[in-house]
Amino acid sequence: MKRLKKLLSLVLLFSLASVAAAASGGAAEKTPQSVQVRIRTILAGNKSDEFDAKLKDMEAQLKPLKYRSYRSLKDDGQSVPWQGTRTFEIPGGRSLTVAPQEFQNNRVALKVRLTEGEKPVLDTTVRITNKGSFILGGPPHEGGTLVLSISAAAQ
Amino acid sequence: MTSCENTRESIGRWLDGELSAAESEAVRGHVSACAVCDETRRQLEKIGATLKSVLATEAARVELTPFWREVQSRINRKRAWYEDLLDWSRGLLAAPRVAWAVPTVIALLLGLFSLDSYWPGWRIRGSRNSFAAVDSIDAHGRSVALLRENETKTTVIWLYEDQEGENETAEEASKSGPAF
Repeated sequence: MKRLKKLLSLVLLFSLASVAAAASGGAAEKTPQSVQVRIRTILAGNKSDEFDAKLKDMEAQLKPLKYRSYRSLKDDGQSVPWQGTRTFEIPGGRSLTVAPQEFQNNRVALKVRLTEGEKPVLDTTVRITNKGSFILGGPPHEGGTLVLSISAAAQ
Repeated sequence: MTSCENTRESIGRWLDGELSAAESEAVRGHVSACAVCDETRRQLEKIGATLKSVLATEAARVELTPFWREVQSRINRKRAWYEDLLDWSRGLLAAPRVAWAVPTVIALLLGLFSLDSYWPGWRIRGSRNSFAAVDSIDAHGRSVALLRENETKTTVIWLYEDQEGENETAEEASKSGPAF
């Protein structure tokens, strides 16, 4: 009986240590140094049935857009520090400015600005799963429509 | 206390062989020299002999064969499934096991919950919400649609551009937009 009590005390101590570890682990979620941002620019259209082989990994994501053709125009990746900004050139005299805001619950918050020349087109703040992506589309280009895949991976 | 009183108290244990060699010798010496104590010894020996003979007679009458037969049959009998289940559940609910199980389960659950802090994204991809969350959006007067595609968990922000300044083909493309 004495031995059992001793063992139970040990188990309870272990449980309390786990609680403490879980609490400290949750509080100390490491903020990564920077974010690797990747912008893939795609021209979607309905003039042909071409599907660029470079976009094979995105086929499922692009399918719901219901265009007949997809062609990769640009694939650009840059490392962006937290609270820093990077500008990506987009065809048609446009540019996309990305600023990582914070990293919380395995999600990266990105502030994104799309401009056309000097004119702002879109300002948005999006939280995406780390190593995940979202799609920004709609601007017309060369008889088709631009589709941007914006992904971020905390480093 | 006199020597006789001491000896009479020890006679029973002497006859049962419970005394040490020295004590036995002292009692034997006293009993052989003292008629009163010797009489006590003879009476105790007589009671012992009587009890022995009575027990031996009664024990012979007891029939143990049915008892052993029953023991054997119980050993050989196949237990019913519910008896095994009952024994198993009794064992499961025994206090020491429950006392062990409760903190162990708590510790395991805590470990499981804290795992995400040390290894982000360990959970199965389909089980968590991997949609992008849009905190704010300003399309500067343009129309904008926010769509979520369930199959690939993709969030789509779609801009509907002004048609001014675009050529006819571009206008056509933009007007139609994606069918989703």
